[in-house]
Amino acid sequence: MQITTTEISSPGMTVNMGPQHPSTHGVLRLVVQLDGEVVVNCRPMIGYLHRGLEKMMEARRYVQNVPFTDRLDYLSSLNCNLAISQAIERIGGLEVPERAQYIRVLLCELNRLASHLVFLGTFATDVGATTVFLYAFRERELILDLLEAMTGARLTYNWIRPGGVAADLPEGFADRTRAFLKTFLPALNDNDRLLTRNRVFRARCEGIGVIPREMAIAYGASGPVARGSGLDFDIRKREPYDVYDRLEFDVPVFPEGDCMARYRVRIEEMRQSVRIIEQCLRDMPDGEVSTKLPKIFKPPAGEAYSRTESPRGELSFFMVSDGGQNPLRVHVRAPSFVHLSLLPELLKGVKVADVIAILGSLDTVLGEVDR
Amino acid sequence: MERVDAKTTGAVPVRRRSNALLDFLSGFQSIFAGMAVTFRNLVGREKITVQYPYERLPVSPRYRGLFYLPFDDEADRLKCVGCTLCAQACPTNVITMTKLGAGKHAGVSEFNMDLGRCMFCNLCIEACPFEAIYMGPAFELASFDRNASVFRIQDLAQGGAWAVEHNRRTIEAALAEEAARKSGRPEAGHAIEKVEK
Amino acid sequence: MSVATTPMGVSKAYKAGQLLAGLAIVAIILILSIVVAHLPWGWAQPIVSFIGERPLLNAFVKAFIVANFVAVHVLFLIWWERKFAGWLQARLGPMHTGWKGLAQTVADAVKLLLKEDIVPAKADYPLFALAPYLAFIPTLMTFMVLPFSLTWVGCDYPLGALYALAVSTIAALGILAAGWGGNNKYALLGGMRAVAQLISYEIPMVVVVLTVVCMVNTMSLTQIVTRQEGLWNIVRYPILIPAFLIYLVCSMAEVNRAPFDLPEAESELVSGFHTEYSGMRFAFFFLAEFANNFFTAGFAVILFFGGWLGPVLPGPVWFTLKALIYITIMMWIRWTLPRLRIDQMMGFCWKLLVPASLAVLCVAALWAVSLP
Repeated sequence: MQITTTEISSPGMTVNMGPQHPSTHGVLRLVVQLDGEVVVNCRPMIGYLHRGLEKMMEARRYVQNVPFTDRLDYLSSLNCNLAISQAIERIGGLEVPERAQYIRVLLCELNRLASHLVFLGTFATDVGATTVFLYAFRERELILDLLEAMTGARLTYNWIRPGGVAADLPEGFADRTRAFLKTFLPALNDNDRLLTRNRVFRARCEGIGVIPREMAIAYGASGPVARGSGLDFDIRKREPYDVYDRLEFDVPVFPEGDCMARYRVRIEEMRQSVRIIEQCLRDMPDGEVSTKLPKIFKPPAGEAYSRTESPRGELSFFMVSDGGQNPLRVHVRAPSFVHLSLLPELLKGVKVADVIAILGSLDTVLGEVDR
Repeated sequence: MERVDAKTTGAVPVRRRSNALLDFLSGFQSIFAGMAVTFRNLVGREKITVQYPYERLPVSPRYRGLFYLPFDDEADRLKCVGCTLCAQACPTNVITMTKLGAGKHAGVSEFNMDLGRCMFCNLCIEACPFEAIYMGPAFELASFDRNASVFRIQDLAQGGAWAVEHNRRTIEAALAEEAARKSGRPEAGHAIEKVEK
Repeated sequence: MSVATTPMGVSKAYKAGQLLAGLAIVAIILILSIVVAHLPWGWAQPIVSFIGERPLLNAFVKAFIVANFVAVHVLFLIWWERKFAGWLQARLGPMHTGWKGLAQTVADAVKLLLKEDIVPAKADYPLFALAPYLAFIPTLMTFMVLPFSLTWVGCDYPLGALYALAVSTIAALGILAAGWGGNNKYALLGGMRAVAQLISYEIPMVVVVLTVVCMVNTMSLTQIVTRQEGLWNIVRYPILIPAFLIYLVCSMAEVNRAPFDLPEAESELVSGFHTEYSGMRFAFFFLAEFANNFFTAGFAVILFFGGWLGPVLPGPVWFTLKALIYITIMMWIRWTLPRLRIDQMMGFCWKLLVPASLAVLCVAALWAVSLP
């Protein structure tokens, strides 16, 4: 419904959604100019989490750089490990054994589930349904237990390395994962029932923050943001890496471009991830889990660019090697950084309460925005 | 899953205005469906709170918690030979050590880990060829003292200060025996100290 | 049923034991109340008549009792809110302070008392200081006409319904004063939204109350209940079912509960009208909100569900029980639904609730007229 606000002659209010805010998903500062209830202008200010990762990576050896990537997109750190490992493999000409590829896909999809559950919880909290946060994190806890059994850590795994993975699956992992998947789908349906068709939720999300298709392409949106605007673009299908070309899964695309579409893309992606995980467990061959790297790993001079589909979008690493033990330059193309650039245009003319919903639907992680 | 074709314009979606009453009623129905979900969680679901610190969850066998240096009971010394491979593998310069002796009977007299810098990334464990450092299940490392983040060898060794002492004695005895052998002179009456456990 | 399992896995016997313990405690409290009700209270009669003959003392004593009841009840209500919310969210809620967390509210109150009283430098101090009281006192005043039983009523005012509605609206002034007094943009926005919401949702609420008054022909709250002897209003006059639903929604909006809690939502841009308040001043707003909760619940129970009427248990116990059930339903809705945006909220009120309540009033009036 259109509300026509009469022009009360008051100067616009500049409000600071400071770096510390319950809903900015990290240390993001939004300087918002309001005209009553409507946003006139918005300037996102980032850098509060800048740690100089790209520069630090130039001073360390290739394998030592992998733990730093955990801290980029810390909600889906295995995907970041995968991205840098792929770049290193391309530069160094390393082959990844097949079992390792299956394990990588398995781990990345588990991490995708965990990341999307965080999105579900935090997005629901942003629009006011706090209960879903607890439910989502409950499921996430089970995934984290699985990943802890595999890697030993719960958030920053450092498990996908150049050449493969750090170690093989532990005993009973496949059974545990299958048992988890059996309980996960009903829980996801529950969350769906709580939210997706809920009248209030739909009123908060439908038609809000519409990113038209051309705008998504122009700004370089990827991942669920692009797929929520009708762009059928998934790197796992376009430029498949590891064993994605052998796995059967669908890519959800919704044309509306609003918050609801992005939300539904992620929910459907979770269901597809479950399919992928089941197939991985079923089809995984025996074999090596890693190619042995030489003790002193000096890849030939050159460049490599690896593209992966992280839960946030297209996560890519650009790596330049000069033949030495340390990379010459590493650049991270972070999807959240690109999506934040959408914000000023997206938030024009939007109501204050919708700012939070839109920001939540973009699902940014400041770790990879600021590096 | 709806696949979209290239003709999508991404315009503002059409609101469902077909039947206001049906829309209203379906809205009510959706709210009741949601309340049914929460009700099921209220009555049918075990509460998942683990009341820490009275209850604790077990960690997995591979859990990456506090480090420990395993002690070799047969050889009566720590397994660590002070090769510094772990220190070199660490991305954040956590490990410093002082080597004790050299060659076949090398060890460490000091082994410091500044866990304030540590990422718990596991690279040092993987770098060690002697299985002389592991990560254990201890994760409650918080402290009021800033210096408590630096763990010395007696905090890390399996067996504590006792193990460190044994380690030192065993290594020094072995080094002394080797030195004696090398110099050719049998050390009269100087038997190797066998320490009783 | 999507029931997830926990890694801890307490035994079924333990869970059953816990449930039984909870039910046993409730049962004991109820039985105790029956016993206490039937004790010989004749010895207190002289004291009661002494107080009753002196109007000023009477008023003071009754107000004192009501205020104490409100305070104690709010203590319990906050605990119950947190526990119930926890259980809905598959967690336990407060467990640590006191047995099963019962002392949690006391701990919070003590904490709030110990806090520094921060007054913003450029705050409008008179309004800033007055606002908590302006928000809290009207709620207390409405409790004076709330009958817990035929004799347990602060003041059996013949126009009780009108008085309660009128006085409860004054709280909106307090909220506006809070928003303005803090010299804070966020608070001002929050305060204005809150007031807009409150006064808008008063209208369907008043119309619904008018509907009930139409049916029972009296505004006195005690009379409304006594006329429900034998059959609750909502059963006797089925037209009151949609009226009750409208009242439910309006009462949730009146007490700023989700889905209508935008004025005090944490995760929104503005943290609400009580941003600038800390310590005991903030506690007053909190108290006011929960007291208002109980008041709207009690009002609904009186209008629709037979007030204190019920077998076996004494009147006040029934009243409190029914009010608690109503509040629990409000909590249940709160923790299920997301919150509405302010324009959606207003649209919902003016475009849906007001016409609906007027329609209900018309039908009820026709019915009432056509009754013999």
